[in-house]
Amino acid sequence: MASPPHLLLQPEKPHDITIMLCELITNNTHNNNIALYKCYNANKVFYRKTAFSQWGNKVIENEKKGYDWFYKDSETLTEIRLKKKYFYELDIPEFRGRRFSSESIISGNEETIERVIDFYKDQWSTNDVFAIHGDLALCNFVIDKNNIKLVDWEHFHYSGKEYFGYDIINMLFILIYHESKRTFSLNKRNRDFLKKCYIQLAEGVANSNKILEKPFQNAKDYLLTFKDKFLVNTNIYDKFVLSGSPLSVLEHFDSIVTK
Amino acid sequence: MSAPQNRYSNLSSAVGLGLIGFNENDVVVDYGCMFYDSFVYASRLCNKIAGIVPSSERLRILHERLMEEDVKNYDLVNANYNEHCLKEEYDCVIVNSFIEQILIELRCDKSIFYEKKISPEKKDNSQGKTKVQFLKTVYNGLKPGGKLYLSYANKMRVNIFLGFAKLEIEYYFASFSLKNALSIISLLNAIYLFSYYLLSQKGLEKLLKANGFVDIEKYAVFPDHKYPLKIIPMSKLDECSFEPVQYISREGSLSRISAGVKRRVDRLIFKNFKLFGLSPSFIITARKAS
Repeated sequence: MASPPHLLLQPEKPHDITIMLCELITNNTHNNNIALYKCYNANKVFYRKTAFSQWGNKVIENEKKGYDWFYKDSETLTEIRLKKKYFYELDIPEFRGRRFSSESIISGNEETIERVIDFYKDQWSTNDVFAIHGDLALCNFVIDKNNIKLVDWEHFHYSGKEYFGYDIINMLFILIYHESKRTFSLNKRNRDFLKKCYIQLAEGVANSNKILEKPFQNAKDYLLTFKDKFLVNTNIYDKFVLSGSPLSVLEHFDSIVTK
Repeated sequence: MSAPQNRYSNLSSAVGLGLIGFNENDVVVDYGCMFYDSFVYASRLCNKIAGIVPSSERLRILHERLMEEDVKNYDLVNANYNEHCLKEEYDCVIVNSFIEQILIELRCDKSIFYEKKISPEKKDNSQGKTKVQFLKTVYNGLKPGGKLYLSYANKMRVNIFLGFAKLEIEYYFASFSLKNALSIISLLNAIYLFSYYLLSQKGLEKLLKANGFVDIEKYAVFPDHKYPLKIIPMSKLDECSFEPVQYISREGSLSRISAGVKRRVDRLIFKNFKLFGLSPSFIITARKAS
């Protein structure tokens, strides 16, 4: 076990690395075994996700699949690089545009929410293979005048087209959660807006859809039925507010949007 | 790099080492091996890693952990830092809990700290003179351009200062003589120098410069350096967003409210004054000049 000093390791190659300046943004959120750094390399700024276990590797590899799916026809994809060291690293460019807080609410963001729904309908309907982002929330969008970028694809997975709408319903529920300060009580203006969003989302959707008849209840069912696909390494109730919400609350919001 | 993958280990507490950016050919040494996760993490990303562990008990525990993790590319030495002096062997040196380790060293042998004591009034001109034996050992062991990673706990500073002062005073009275009585100034001097170089905000950086290191970067680490959740480079304070972080507690509502208030106050202080209300730990990275 303990070697005498003269047997210590010998060098193999001259040193050639400079230290890059990084900020640690998050670490091991919801036990994902991943750290997110913001890196400053000369004049370039980018984000780096690094795994700290084999589970983290799996999640990072999955996230790259999500980016590949979403940006498949875009030049952006060339800037998203997966490095498969012992612990995987995923480099993501810093997108320019407006960012949103993780505690964003409906009020004041109505225009953006409508734009996101339009974007979802356009992007998700035209893709040959249907997929779920898994954690769609306003804070994962970077939006400017001409572009909408979407990040954080850790929970990406392929799914059937009949689950169209899941991501938007999940996003709306997160907004409701923060708008109502966790009480699930909304004013009339917000309720009317939710209904408008639902109509916008449901327009032209096939009858075979398995989400939109009772959107909030069905979205929760989807989440719990396919929870393994979401690659969550913690109690799913701690990660997704939708998964732990009582049936009465979901019925209430279903009735608001569908009637 | 060749170690088989262990699917169960989460080494997230070693997140600070992500600042270093290891190369798969790197040869690394960890002085003290204070954090086992850091050692395992570095072993996974480097070619080889050596651990210099003064405590045989610590060495035994680390060895068991490495067996569990199936790490093969390591070498452990049960020795003090000054007992092995290698020449330009390493691409990176890791020293976790740096100041705490210096104190442990001082308990064994004070002479290994300062090679040359200087008078406080000369301290501003003394950057070329103040050598710390431990840093000299680290410096000599690094290849040109090699990287240094230091972490230390800010909240320990008062304790460390008091510990050092106690040591000096004990040493002074243990070897008391008339001649010694006249050298009380040297006692105060030693305490003053220790507080200046290790405890002041800029002192440690000056000490590193004086010992030949360049590209010194200091990071504030929250909630502490044992398991960082947020690390902010001090040179980028204007560009960083600061959201105070704490370990998640499921205790009573009173402690949650108090944590919430503290978080808001800290955010306000940072936003207006670029100061940390919370007491952070620190990480310093540096390079040996090429």
